[in-house]
Amino acid sequence: MKALRFERNIPRFAAATIASRLGGSGAKVGPLRLRSIDAPKLPGSDWVEILPRLSGICGSDLATINAQSTRYFEPIVSFPFVPGHEIVADLREPVGDIPAGRVVVEPVLGCIARGISPACAACERGDLGNCERIAFGSLEPGLQTGFCCSTGGGWSTRMVAHVSQLHAVPESWTDEAAVMVEPTACAVHGALIADVTEGDLVVVLGSGTLGLLTIAALRRFGRPCTILAVAKHPHQRELAVEFGADIVVSPNELTRAVRRASNSLALGDGDIIRLTGGADHVIDCVGSQDSITEALGVVRPKGRITLVGMPGHVSVDLTGLWQREITLSGSYAYGTETLPDGSRRRTFDLAFELVEAADLGRLVTAVYPLSSHEQAIAHASASGVRGAVRIAFDLRDEKERNRA
Amino acid sequence: MSNATPSRMPITRKQATKLIRKLPVNRSVGNSVVRRGGSIGRIVKTLLTEPTVPNGVKVLAKESKVGANYDTDWARSYPARAARVLLVEGLVRPVIDILATPTVYGDDRLTDIEGPVVFAANHHSHIDTPLMLSVIPEPWRHHLFIGAAADYFFGNQITSTLSALVIGAIPIERTKVTRNSADQAAVLLDDGWSMLIFPEGGRSPDGWGQQFRGGAAYLSLRCNVPVVPVHLEGTGKVLRKGKNVPRLHPTSVTFGKPIMPNEGEDSRHLAIRIEEAVAALADESATDWWQARRRAAAGETPSLHGPEAGSWRRSWSLDDRKRTRKGKRNWPEV
Amino acid sequence: MPRPGFVLDVDRSTPPILFHHGEGFRLERLPAGRSRVIYPSEPIEALKNPDAAIRDALVNPIGDSEPLTALLKPGMKLTIAFDDISLPLPPMKRPDIRQRVIEAVLDLAAAAGVDDVMLIAALALHRRMTEAELRHAVGDRVYDAFAPDGRLINHDAEDPDNLLYIGSTEQGEEVEINKRAADSDLIIYVNINLVSMDGGWKSTATGLASYRSLRHHHNVRTMQHSKSFMDQHKSELHSANWRMGKVLRDSGIKVFQIETTMNNNVFGTEGPMSVLQKREWEWSLKDRVTMAGMKTALDLMPSRTKRSIFQGWQAPHAMTSVQAGEVEAVHKLTTENVYKQHLVQVEGQTDILTMGLPYISPYNVNSILNPILVACLGLGYFFNLYRGKPPVREGGVVIMSHPTPWEFHPVHHPSYIDFFEQVLSVTTDPLRIEAEFEKSFAEDEWYRHLYRTSYAYHGVHPFYMWYWCSHALQHVGEVIIVGGDVRAVRRLGFKPASTLQDALEMASDVVGRDATITHLHNPPILMADVS
Repeated sequence: MKALRFERNIPRFAAATIASRLGGSGAKVGPLRLRSIDAPKLPGSDWVEILPRLSGICGSDLATINAQSTRYFEPIVSFPFVPGHEIVADLREPVGDIPAGRVVVEPVLGCIARGISPACAACERGDLGNCERIAFGSLEPGLQTGFCCSTGGGWSTRMVAHVSQLHAVPESWTDEAAVMVEPTACAVHGALIADVTEGDLVVVLGSGTLGLLTIAALRRFGRPCTILAVAKHPHQRELAVEFGADIVVSPNELTRAVRRASNSLALGDGDIIRLTGGADHVIDCVGSQDSITEALGVVRPKGRITLVGMPGHVSVDLTGLWQREITLSGSYAYGTETLPDGSRRRTFDLAFELVEAADLGRLVTAVYPLSSHEQAIAHASASGVRGAVRIAFDLRDEKERNRA
Repeated sequence: MSNATPSRMPITRKQATKLIRKLPVNRSVGNSVVRRGGSIGRIVKTLLTEPTVPNGVKVLAKESKVGANYDTDWARSYPARAARVLLVEGLVRPVIDILATPTVYGDDRLTDIEGPVVFAANHHSHIDTPLMLSVIPEPWRHHLFIGAAADYFFGNQITSTLSALVIGAIPIERTKVTRNSADQAAVLLDDGWSMLIFPEGGRSPDGWGQQFRGGAAYLSLRCNVPVVPVHLEGTGKVLRKGKNVPRLHPTSVTFGKPIMPNEGEDSRHLAIRIEEAVAALADESATDWWQARRRAAAGETPSLHGPEAGSWRRSWSLDDRKRTRKGKRNWPEV
Repeated sequence: MPRPGFVLDVDRSTPPILFHHGEGFRLERLPAGRSRVIYPSEPIEALKNPDAAIRDALVNPIGDSEPLTALLKPGMKLTIAFDDISLPLPPMKRPDIRQRVIEAVLDLAAAAGVDDVMLIAALALHRRMTEAELRHAVGDRVYDAFAPDGRLINHDAEDPDNLLYIGSTEQGEEVEINKRAADSDLIIYVNINLVSMDGGWKSTATGLASYRSLRHHHNVRTMQHSKSFMDQHKSELHSANWRMGKVLRDSGIKVFQIETTMNNNVFGTEGPMSVLQKREWEWSLKDRVTMAGMKTALDLMPSRTKRSIFQGWQAPHAMTSVQAGEVEAVHKLTTENVYKQHLVQVEGQTDILTMGLPYISPYNVNSILNPILVACLGLGYFFNLYRGKPPVREGGVVIMSHPTPWEFHPVHHPSYIDFFEQVLSVTTDPLRIEAEFEKSFAEDEWYRHLYRTSYAYHGVHPFYMWYWCSHALQHVGEVIIVGGDVRAVRRLGFKPASTLQDALEMASDVVGRDATITHLHNPPILMADVS
């Protein structure tokens, strides 16, 4: 079968690092290569083979391809792996409650998928993303499908999934809508974990997929609040407004806008050196050194910063965090959420609801076949500039997929 | 002269000279004898020696060529003016800037006047003149002459020449308004030259002012030009009367509102007005303009002359007067 | 004898016409046969002896007023208020008119034995004046005498302890002014009447007022009903101020108004700048060389250098009249004297109005002409410099020339930055802006802090700039800026054009191909008397 595979190849890894540092893309020279490989074997009895239809390209994928992610992941991924964790696929035969047809994969590989019993405390609570056993059990290490050599990933024509990972897709939905469920779940998790109280000023940094989805999630599931979004490009600006942002500003206008929205004073004679107050919450959907610095600059004392975007090695001055008693927290993946009304729901269920309500399928701007992966990656890397939101691989027309 | 008369007694020149020197007669005769057949040096000496005056003849008072009578016209020729501009701008001003670092106040009061004026300033020090030369604004600065004490600045040919060239001085009698000096000044004022004069007639002996004399007022009335009162502060600290070595001390120069002579005013009255104006400027310099105006309006402007008291009390009441002026505020770039 | 202003019909032998263009110039050929240029009058004669004229005006007042000498009494409380840095434009050479008048007034006050004197820069919601600017306005003598012990101050429209509510007009407009001024036995207002908008009751009722009071006439409705605000008889702005003046007078506040006018000798008659004051066909070889040289040099200079050169220019304009006494009588005469310099008879309207915007407006002395001020200078001030009707027809097009850089002076205009970024990005409709945003800017603590302690315009000031444009925005069909920063021009809601030819082409979509054109050859300032 055809697959894009990420291999452990030190020279290519180095080449990708250098290429991305030089402003290019690691796709050409990096450790990601289009290969013909054997389809993964079923690791256990509750596993089924599925045939990906669409598989999105996520920010963390790009970081991996450009070799910009940290070595943190080394012990919790297993090489060689096929990336792709935003997946809508075909299930040939019904399994459990899931009828045959299209399914969305919830990629976290927790205790249940790994056949570990009893499950760890986190899985027990339903916080699948926090599973403590992601390198153990019947599978090779891998925090999610798409980072594990046992399961395969979405950027190929065949892969395997545990029954517990599957969510059936309603008939009426497009594949594009379905492929947006996984990133939407991340955003819903981020929006709810931030625990926004009513009337708060929430700054959402970044208006890529994650930022836009977070805005939509805050509006739909969070308590009423003022959302101040930062958008660089015109189409992002429009979508941010549509999804419910009250104020949308350019990145260089952020500090002044937060000052006004939070009625804060500022140090500096007209030019702002530092705000004295700031936003109650900052949800950072970028996760870079600059965005974290910015977040620390606009959050109020005792405020909270939630990192939804994946950071990495960053160098930031934490004096303000200390002096202003700021909470800096992360938000990874999904599991079970507590809604403002106290009810508990699966994040994926909420994501399904939001995708439908906000018609998020339209965020998939372009799809590419596997063979055009270089162009696909390049488009995804420059999505904002090129007026795109989400780029995905289209596997529906791959020949071998349609063979038996 | 020849020795051709044969009837004379044969006598050598040496004998004759000896003989003459013994005789109780007019030496000049002897001289003439001595000079006979003399060298060029002697001729020159003769030319330079004045003739004696016979008794019984009334000697006419000789007009002095220096002092009040020194003719300074040449100092207003173009080469002399050019030299003066160079001297003032190239030498006097830089030296004064270092020595006296003058701060100028009130020069805006001169904006409306055109043509020649008389600058009347108080006088503490020899520094005053060069200081004024470097702070009087254009166009007056290089079209200026100075009334300088005839006896002091025009005492002999050398000081006269230097005074006329460097500071553009004309000689003025300290004690009286004399025809000659006044005429000279009036002609120049009519000609469009402005004048700097120290109406006190001399430097202050103790730091306090002296009474203003009538020269400035007289000229103002005669030529119908405004008088600009000027107050100098701190020049006494740079070089006071009796000292020869200057020391660094900041000074301030305050120009007053030009005073126009009133219809039918006499020069004594105008002189008093000028003195009052300078006194008000002194007050302004010591306190501020508003207090000075109020005191002037109430007739309470402190006199320039200081208290009528013993010398120690007079110097005791001379306090240190200083004002400061802050710089421009620096903006972030415009 | 100065030649009066006139209207030139552009023909094929008309040389290129000078357009001011920020810190630079453009020479533009206007289409022959359908264009006209309104030229200002040459500078009218100045007073020979201004100080004597001032003294004379003080002792021979106009209207129902005693001579100043009789109004000044020992023991009285006297407040002298004076116009701020926004007047005159550009700043004049020393001595400033205000210095002359204030010194003359203080001379009389000193003679009368008045002890309690306070000087207030009547700056309303403008930025505070710096020491250097105050020194320039009132002179060093007055500054040194009054400033050190706090008797020369900037008005503070946000100091609750120093404002006094006087009452309200029949129409419910609240009148609140500086308390010290209101408590005084006499307010002497020292005015410079650069344009016909200035002066009269606007001096006290606006210059010394608070935001609470100003909002009643600094709003969109008033500005849309002031046609124009330069013509006090057709200006709602002035009616409101006059109503407030009546409240002041009825409450017993005594104002002795001193108004001065000046000629428009802005660039002098000698030196390189003088070419800007000459008519193009009269440019000598020297003038043409100077213009070419200036243009080339300015093109090469970085904008900071250009700005500091232009902002350093002090105009030689001189006083042409001074009148003192009762406010309304004084202002009547003042306005006549202003008109003597500014009014130019113009016949009828045209389809297009073009103007070259210079580097300075009332609100960017020693500062930057930011995009909002560009709009206000063109559509607020220049557009409104008319009597009768605007020189451009309703639905016509205004073409302005200015580089319109996306630049702000952070110290002077902090709220302008936010207005541009956060308000104009949402809407450019003055009514919506007023309804949705004004309050939050006006009551913002930080702007208030900067206005009171630093040198910032009040938080609400950019709104007023936009309201100033509202009459023009309502009247014209399209606004085009030639040579401006494209993004900034779009943010203002206008259309950018790179050349005048392009702009005229774009205008033809609105007003047709054979549109008639009027060019306002301003500065020096002129006011079109359109019949």
